[in-house]
Amino acid sequence: MLAFIARRLFVSALVFLAATAVVFVMAANVGDPLAEARQLPSGQAQEAAIAEITERMNLDEPVFVRYFRWLGSALTGDLGVNVTGQSVNAMLENAVGATLQLVLAATVLSIVVGITIGVISALRQYSGLDLSVTFAAFLFYSLPLFWVATLLKQFVAIDLNNWLADPKLALWVIGLIALFVALFCAALVVGDRRSRVTTFVVAFVAMCALLWALSETGWFADPGLGIFVISLTAVAGAIGFTTLFSGLDWHSPPMRAAMAAAIAGIASALLLDPVLRDPNLATIALLAVITAGVCFAIGWLLGGELYRRSAVQSAVFTGLFTGAVIFTDRLLQSFASYSDMKGGRPVSTIGSGTPNFQGTFWQSGLDSVGHLALPTLALMLISLATYTRYTRASMLEVMNQDYVRTARAKGLPERAVVTRHSLRNGLIPITTLTAYDIGTVMGGAVVTETVFGWRAMGRMLLDGINQGDPMPIMAFFLVAGGAIVAFNMLADIAYGFLDPRIRLS
Amino acid sequence: MRRTRTKPAQAPSGTDAVQGMGVRTRTQGQLVLRRFIRHKGAVAGMIGLGAIVLLAVTSIGAGPIPGWWPKDFSSTGTLVDGGKPTLSLLPGFLGGSGLQIGEHPFGQDNVGRDYFALTMRGTQVSLVIAFIVGIVATFVGTLVGAVAGYFRGKSEAALMRLTDLVITIPTLLFAGMVAVMAGDRGIVVLGLVLGLVTWTPTARLIRGEVLSIREKEFVIAARSFGTSARRIIVKHILPNTVGIIIVSVTLAIASAIILESALSFLGLGVQPPDTSLGRIISDYQNALTVRPWLFYWPGLFIIGIVLSVNFIGDGLRDAFDPRQNRVRD
Amino acid sequence: MSTNLEPANGSRVHAGKTLADSLPPSDEEILRVEDLTVEFPTDDGMVHAVRGVDYSVREREVLGIVGESGSGKSVSSMAIMGLLPGNARVRGSIRYRGKDLLRMREKEHRSLRGEKIAMIFQDPMTSLNPVQTIGDQLAEAVLSHHLVSRKQALTRAKEMLDLVGIPRPEARLKSYPHEFSGGMRQRVMIAMAIINDPDLIIADEPTTALDVTVQAQILEKLLEVKDEVNAAILMITHDLGVIAGMAHRVLVMYAGRPVEIGNVDVVFNQPRMPYMAGLLGSLPHLDATEHERLRPIVGTPPSLINVPPGCPFSPRCPLADDSACVTTEPELAPTDADEHYAACHHWSRLAQVDDPTAYFRAESERSR
Repeated sequence: MLAFIARRLFVSALVFLAATAVVFVMAANVGDPLAEARQLPSGQAQEAAIAEITERMNLDEPVFVRYFRWLGSALTGDLGVNVTGQSVNAMLENAVGATLQLVLAATVLSIVVGITIGVISALRQYSGLDLSVTFAAFLFYSLPLFWVATLLKQFVAIDLNNWLADPKLALWVIGLIALFVALFCAALVVGDRRSRVTTFVVAFVAMCALLWALSETGWFADPGLGIFVISLTAVAGAIGFTTLFSGLDWHSPPMRAAMAAAIAGIASALLLDPVLRDPNLATIALLAVITAGVCFAIGWLLGGELYRRSAVQSAVFTGLFTGAVIFTDRLLQSFASYSDMKGGRPVSTIGSGTPNFQGTFWQSGLDSVGHLALPTLALMLISLATYTRYTRASMLEVMNQDYVRTARAKGLPERAVVTRHSLRNGLIPITTLTAYDIGTVMGGAVVTETVFGWRAMGRMLLDGINQGDPMPIMAFFLVAGGAIVAFNMLADIAYGFLDPRIRLS
Repeated sequence: MRRTRTKPAQAPSGTDAVQGMGVRTRTQGQLVLRRFIRHKGAVAGMIGLGAIVLLAVTSIGAGPIPGWWPKDFSSTGTLVDGGKPTLSLLPGFLGGSGLQIGEHPFGQDNVGRDYFALTMRGTQVSLVIAFIVGIVATFVGTLVGAVAGYFRGKSEAALMRLTDLVITIPTLLFAGMVAVMAGDRGIVVLGLVLGLVTWTPTARLIRGEVLSIREKEFVIAARSFGTSARRIIVKHILPNTVGIIIVSVTLAIASAIILESALSFLGLGVQPPDTSLGRIISDYQNALTVRPWLFYWPGLFIIGIVLSVNFIGDGLRDAFDPRQNRVRD
Repeated sequence: MSTNLEPANGSRVHAGKTLADSLPPSDEEILRVEDLTVEFPTDDGMVHAVRGVDYSVREREVLGIVGESGSGKSVSSMAIMGLLPGNARVRGSIRYRGKDLLRMREKEHRSLRGEKIAMIFQDPMTSLNPVQTIGDQLAEAVLSHHLVSRKQALTRAKEMLDLVGIPRPEARLKSYPHEFSGGMRQRVMIAMAIINDPDLIIADEPTTALDVTVQAQILEKLLEVKDEVNAAILMITHDLGVIAGMAHRVLVMYAGRPVEIGNVDVVFNQPRMPYMAGLLGSLPHLDATEHERLRPIVGTPPSLINVPPGCPFSPRCPLADDSACVTTEPELAPTDADEHYAACHHWSRLAQVDDPTAYFRAESERSR
């Protein structure tokens, strides 16, 4: 395995090196960096300008010499200067954070959501849910990103802000949302028509009542979950995860472990209040690690010898889930104050962050969310469709395999057949997909940033191309191409770990 | 398995749903066509794409074909009713103004250009570019994929490294640079260069397919007769990859439309005076709040084309490679 | 085994355990299938895959089911397991120790699957999960029916691997399927089938995908473990040699129906259904003279979508006439031997000749 990784690393590095040469040669020929200088009235000023740029960019040297010059300094960490003499390192430093945040958020969200929807859709093949998901995936897949992004920016952001000024839901909106949620729940239920209809009715009524109550109490203007809802969600999570990992059984050790984890979570939500007022990222990370550790111990102890594995799984997932709920609650609680800071318009359409923003951890978190939400949503849609379609196809293929039939013949419950046999095999090909997708997302980020007016890597690249300025283009490529190479390698390594057949070769 | 001798009248068709149960014989082509026609989305896609192509070609005409639409896309005129679209599909009893096309069905832009004619022109250009890209990308991809898949060893390694290299460069960066270098040499050149940078998915698909076909008995048989590699690829392997090649044409066309419109939107693609659907959206994006129709129409046409092509591709894939539930015995 | 038959491909059980050495069947009936029909809706119409099957299996008995592809032999066994695709329409009854599997709740049926009724599949190369260790896959079969620790389950798995003759079972628990040969994987499948001491093992062409030399070992092993766990075996195959070597009784299926059933010796020596006679006649004999030709049955089985009236075998049958054979489908009826039933209007004509397979020789000679 180590030799495999080392070889893979070596080949990737060579390919990447060759790619830098190709991109450099193209970038050096993409336009005329002297175009602007030539516009000056001819005379000494023009000649001086041309001479200065020629000197700065070594335009009098052949392109290969310039490439090796760039390569040499890039290896020492110096990315050169652009046509106006600005340091590209400084430009990149300002740009890279926002772009990577966007790319990472969009990628992670589309992987998680896309795989989930794809799996459910495959498990309910030919159901109404499956057909709607398949059609929606096709539609999203066919949307031009810049068009969607512009629509989102123009309408969703503005309308959402207007609505948040006086957040009341009209009855028909409540009905529509409840209808969708209820249809989704009904599609999830296994069983006959009657249990589906019951689920639908219950979900519809519950959703209507909930939304109406939230709307009437003005919750949307000053949201938050409160300890009661946190507790309820945590317990529901405990039941859900236990059902997923070992089946629904109230007295089983995994259920006890998950419940214990949920209760521990709720208790710490109350006890840790002083810490959670204004933490920093390290505190949150530390808390997450502690949560996982404590829950692991709970599962280990309560699981006993017979149920250790599933008890640990249920407890850890429940614990982390409860943590996420508490985190969300804190964010929501800060919403009213953040909204005030932004003059009542919390959803932003321009830029990647409010300049010189000062606030608590939660408020700056909301600021990031407010700026990232719409670009991420736009960028997600297309990848989401890709992941959904591939996951669905892959799962359907795996579910027809002989070894899945063997698993059923053993007498395993359907839940275990899916989670232990279909899912693991079905997700292996998806690792490769993430590697291809990252390039598309990188390109999409350029488009999205343009629409939302971010001054990030997209701007740097487009300015570079338009001005025939190779250094910023190379900086963009180092990051984007580097991400593609890294993802490809990670995918290969993950593949090797997931599929024992690859490990040997 | 016992191999029953088959009579033409009752040959069990290996590709049909029920193997060896005596199903009427159909040729491969008939089977594919039948499955394709049964795919509702694919048929809808065919109709949708056909309608869009027909509308785009005949309305304002193309080359020798005269158009029936009286206005052209470049001349300005007086604004009628603020340039609002006159097209109405909502009948009077539902509160609309009845079925009518009117003077400017898609409205006018701020200088009074007929937006229907402009959208049609954009559609024509986008379609031409997409088809060129689709064909070039499929041709190069098939060539690379087939050669890499068939020949093991050095040529495979070299071609796969080349593919890896192209994949390492984000498509938008690569395509953006070649598009700018193509400059204003016209849409055909733009299509060609874009095709030259988007062939990698096809190459991967074809290579995978060829890798599995080259191990099939009939190829081994042909090799054992001493058939030349070129002949095996052309006569035995490529015909068996026709399905996947056709499917990848559709995939390439769909992504080409999206790529071209994104590049044009960023100002890197089609250059004035020519226009394309992406270019139109880019030109009028700031008009969104004042004249929203300038934004909607070209977008809807992009979605219409890409959705149709994707559905056709899906139908073709199902038709060529039916993964239906098989009843085994 | 007293049969005039030379096994078709050497898969006769050799030196090791033979059927004669193994424990005899008891009178206790464990499975009774009555009037089982299975239909699949397809694009071309309804496929009548199984059209009324009746049989029973007793403790420790080996019942062979033969028939060509599409005769319904696998579909009927998948119905017993409850593993048919969701669109299948199943009617009739399948009673396991008196309880009807088709009218059981899914949960109850599942608790029998792998515990009381186990199955061995045709292709061991694809029947094991490639990403899980052999030990995990075996232990899982135990854990899904018994409340024991993983450690105990793994111990049981090791014992089973030892029982089916896999060397170094302890170490092999940690291996993945791709590290095993085909024969070894089929042994693992057998171990998985018997790990919970089942009453009934359904073996669906367990040796078809294996090398001839390995086939004999696997069959031997099956007979051996059968006595170890006191199970009956439903042996589904198209290989008459396998049936001759290891079944007590044989059920012959054609076009979704049983056409002949009886003790192996009787059926093989005195077939009373022309199809079975044809099958026997089409086997190559080792003692055949140089000039003798193989004698295939001419034609193909009928479509199961539009099953024509009359005997489904009549278009291929040398005995068929224009009256009863094309108008009424014959029912299984007693013949001249005990417990021997055949579905043929003209079975008595087969009884009149010494070698019923001769009809097919004449037929194939004529049709040349």
